[in-house]
Amino acid sequence: MISLTFYILLHWLIVLAGAPLFLGVIPRVKAVISGRRGPSVFQPYYDLARLFQKKTVYSRTTTWLFRAAPIVALASVLMVSLVVPFCVFKAPIQFTGDILLVAYLLALARFFMIIAALDTGYSMEGMGASREAFFSCLSELTLFMNFITLALLAHNISLSRMIGADIPVSWQMAGPALLMAAGSLFVVLLAENCRLPVDDPDTHLELTMIHEVMILEHGGVDLAYMHYAAGIKMFIFAAILVPILLPWQTGNVLQNWAIFCGGMMGLALLVGVVESTMARFRLNRVKHFLLISFALAFFGFIVALWRI
Amino acid sequence: MEIIFSKIWQVPFGALSLRLDPLSVLFLTAITILFFCAGIYSMGYLRPYQGKKPLVWHVFCYLFLAMMFGVVVTANNVILFLSAWELMSIATYFLIIFHDETPSVRRAGFLYLMATHCGTFCLFLMFFLMAHTAGSMNFDVMAHASFSPVVAGTIFSLALIGFGVKAGFLPFHIWLPHAHPAAPSHISAVLSGVAIKTGIYGICRVLWIMGVLPEWCGYALLLIGVVSGLMGVLYALGQHELKKLLAYHSIENIGIIAIGLGIGMLGRTYHLAFVSALGFAGALLHVLNHALFKGLLFLGAGSVIQKTHTGDLDRLGGLAKIMPYTSVLFLVGALSICGLPLFNGFISEFVIFYGLFQGLLTLPLQGVFSCGVGIVSLALMGALALACFAKVYGTIFLGKPRRTGDSALFQEKERNRALSPVLREATSKWMIVAMAVLAGLCAWIGLAPRNAVRLTFAGGEYLSRGVLMKEDFEKLMAPLSMIIGTVFIFMAVIAVLVLVRKVLLGKGSMPIQDTWACGFAQVSPKFQYTSSSFARPIVELMKKILMFSRQGGKVVGEFPVQAHMISAVKDASEEGMFRPLYIRFIRLSRKLDERRNKYTQMYLMYIFLFLIFLLIWKLR
Amino acid sequence: MTIWIDAACILVVFFSLSILAAYRIGGMIQMFAVQSLVLSFMPVLMHSHALSLRDILLSLGTMVLKAVLVPYILFWAIRHVSMRSEVKPIIGIGSSIVCGALLIAGSFWVSSSVTFPGKIASDLVIPCSLATVLLGFMIMVTRTRAVTQVVGYLVMENGIFLFALSLFDAMPILIEMGILLDIFAAVFIMAIVVNHINEEFERSPAAVKRWSKMGESI
Repeated sequence: MISLTFYILLHWLIVLAGAPLFLGVIPRVKAVISGRRGPSVFQPYYDLARLFQKKTVYSRTTTWLFRAAPIVALASVLMVSLVVPFCVFKAPIQFTGDILLVAYLLALARFFMIIAALDTGYSMEGMGASREAFFSCLSELTLFMNFITLALLAHNISLSRMIGADIPVSWQMAGPALLMAAGSLFVVLLAENCRLPVDDPDTHLELTMIHEVMILEHGGVDLAYMHYAAGIKMFIFAAILVPILLPWQTGNVLQNWAIFCGGMMGLALLVGVVESTMARFRLNRVKHFLLISFALAFFGFIVALWRI
Repeated sequence: MEIIFSKIWQVPFGALSLRLDPLSVLFLTAITILFFCAGIYSMGYLRPYQGKKPLVWHVFCYLFLAMMFGVVVTANNVILFLSAWELMSIATYFLIIFHDETPSVRRAGFLYLMATHCGTFCLFLMFFLMAHTAGSMNFDVMAHASFSPVVAGTIFSLALIGFGVKAGFLPFHIWLPHAHPAAPSHISAVLSGVAIKTGIYGICRVLWIMGVLPEWCGYALLLIGVVSGLMGVLYALGQHELKKLLAYHSIENIGIIAIGLGIGMLGRTYHLAFVSALGFAGALLHVLNHALFKGLLFLGAGSVIQKTHTGDLDRLGGLAKIMPYTSVLFLVGALSICGLPLFNGFISEFVIFYGLFQGLLTLPLQGVFSCGVGIVSLALMGALALACFAKVYGTIFLGKPRRTGDSALFQEKERNRALSPVLREATSKWMIVAMAVLAGLCAWIGLAPRNAVRLTFAGGEYLSRGVLMKEDFEKLMAPLSMIIGTVFIFMAVIAVLVLVRKVLLGKGSMPIQDTWACGFAQVSPKFQYTSSSFARPIVELMKKILMFSRQGGKVVGEFPVQAHMISAVKDASEEGMFRPLYIRFIRLSRKLDERRNKYTQMYLMYIFLFLIFLLIWKLR
Repeated sequence: MTIWIDAACILVVFFSLSILAAYRIGGMIQMFAVQSLVLSFMPVLMHSHALSLRDILLSLGTMVLKAVLVPYILFWAIRHVSMRSEVKPIIGIGSSIVCGALLIAGSFWVSSSVTFPGKIASDLVIPCSLATVLLGFMIMVTRTRAVTQVVGYLVMENGIFLFALSLFDAMPILIEMGILLDIFAAVFIMAIVVNHINEEFERSPAAVKRWSKMGESI
């Protein structure tokens, strides 16, 4: 019991410490590619610290749900992080079917964020909420399709096993399927976390934004919670993707950890590169982008079936 | 495991034989709870109609319906079952046409009556075939008979149509979105919560009687589930009318239940007792859960409609401030129906998902593929339901009221701001108590599912007709107890985060301002996203299937004055299938009518000839 | 080496799908070029254990012809014709993608019953080539512009090429080169024809209106 509590706290420590760093690397990469120096990689920490100290202003239209949404969002992603293994740190919570808990806890966070956006009673937030609801339907499809492929290959429906020790064997058996799963999971990572080809996290032109416009009305601690939740979500998706792409397991704990951290940094780098080389899709093209990622995942499923 | 009560009944082939087995117990539980709560609710809801409507007749029908439901799910004899089934349909009809002064209500009631009789026709055929093959009218004797694959397939198809009409499978669902909104809310709750479940009960009973069914039946049921579920939720997204939307959601949930039953049947066909039990148990648990949360949502909708006199989502808004209790209870219902953790919807969806994944790992190839399709569509249904209920909750309870007519209501709110929530709400306390009981049960199954799951697992085991060990139940309970543990940690985390927020914000009240409108000064509630605009991206993607139509809305000129836009989603199976059929039929009848012989004697002669034919056929 | 062949196979199918999902003609041609580039490595990959001059020649020939020359000609054609750059689909892009995914599943299902004489480099080659052919066909069926027809034809041909590669050992190099040359000539002629027809193969104005309306609506 005590050791479990210890592991849970350790997991949270990694997530809470690592997520802002992950988010900080991406703008730095973008800046370097475009020939600027860019902000420090620790900038998200400063931003969060600043927001934590601020007071907030509430709209008179809003109800308690508006205040509850950031808390539920952050708590949900923190719970999801307990199901995901971080290399040598095994997931404290793992059981048959924990992937469903992952998907539905994220859905819970999304539900509260959407209704908090609708609570403000203005069109901008409603716009973001509507788009978020739409795109998440499509990315959820892809996510589950990939879960199916991974479950088929690992013959297990626990996340820790699906992206765990069986991955090298699966690469041998059905490499193309895993390749496609990784590709479409990367698209899900971009879409769910509102990265560039889908949504632009940097602009403040409300019409083009999804996530940012939903949290337009939040401020202070609430906004910090929201940002933290978004960062952790991205960190979690990356932590799911890295073991699939880098399945090497050495006997050495330190080496494994180095591979994992390197993978995470590499992924942040990749996101940065994608963001600096790609333009944002027109809004009515985003669904095609997501549908292609679904078709890719489906193709992966077919290949996995073919090879088994 | 089963108790049979039997008495002689002076009806040919009939026997007053009732049975109590895990299946009946489960449905009886759902019926009792929902009828009880809706009854309590109606004590508040019907008060305004006192003296204006024949309430005694209404109450009689209500209680009679409750009794008939009880008989339907416990009958052990075909004749008894069919009699109760018919009486149930008729009682339901009288309950639906409570507002019989409105023509649309009368039409909806008639449509219901027609649909249910068409269904019953198939049931007559089906039971005839069954009884003929088995040589008995009693279910327990039938269960020991063996059916040839062709007969079994025919019986199953007839059951799918006959019971499918009642349950609301696509495309036989067309009566449902008309009848449910037409009825008063506590009746809608009962209709949606348990009346359509009698269709599911019928299918379960047939599955139980026919121990061995051809392989394709499982796939067919799975497919029907996927189609009904997806189409149900898509239609729901396109609706503007609250109760109609909820009615379409019932179709979605029936689809989820059918997916569970389908995977249970696949497991049974391939002799995988655990998969089978999981599928059936998940479906049955969802039956119970759907009764709870859909009942809750319909009752909540009733409170909203009683308060505002409209169910049009595009006109509502900001009710959370006027109706604090109803808004919280409705939120519980919305979270449950979306299958989000903490509440019961998640538990039953988890069990069905578990069954599907288990099937994915153990079934043969075509089964694996079907399970994959099932999982993906269940996930999509979940995401779409989430979008739909975020829309419903956001547009009814949050934001500002969307029509100017509501400003009177809002002035009342401003006046009541100082008052306690109880006075502000002004909804009858019976109504709140009824909803609170249902919400409490939703949370109870969500947080302590052991008893409910045991009840339904017994039902699943009973249906799967396989031998299961005690470990199998524990194999299901192990992940569930982990989920519950996680949920409790989740609540602890929420508490900690609330505390952190309190500490960081410090003492003193926060400044309250208007919503920041990006610098725009004259903000009107009309700026808000309406339910139609919220759902538009999804509906537009599926516009062909949904028969989405949009009129007007074009802004012209440099200084546009006023523009109106109407968008609507039409039911493809109603518009594309039944209406043309109906028109053809009417045309045919007209033609026949013209040719008809107008002598009464002719008809008497037909009867006479038929009588002679019967006499010769039977007595020769 | 199998993993590389597998990867190339799925990439070929994926690019066919992307061509189906493209909404600009330029994007279609670019993706076709990349697809051909991937495909041109196949002869070398398939015979990596015993590399001969013939494999390298075939690779190079494919690369030069399909990945460079043909796209160049097509680009030249659309530049000179000054047509609008959008693809005009008969069924919408979203539905095309879903149909494409189903076609892929279908081609795997069909080829599960095909028994192939002799040794194949990877079991993915046949279903993937079939899928590519079907997707190419679908591009031809559902896109109305002249250039898109050509691209669809070329994608189809790529699928046939992939299939033919598995019969590689039975085919003399002369025939392959001949085929490649044929395609080159065909594309060249088509480009000229396109140049002259300007817009598209359209039957009557009313039909065009109906088709394009259908396309826009999904």
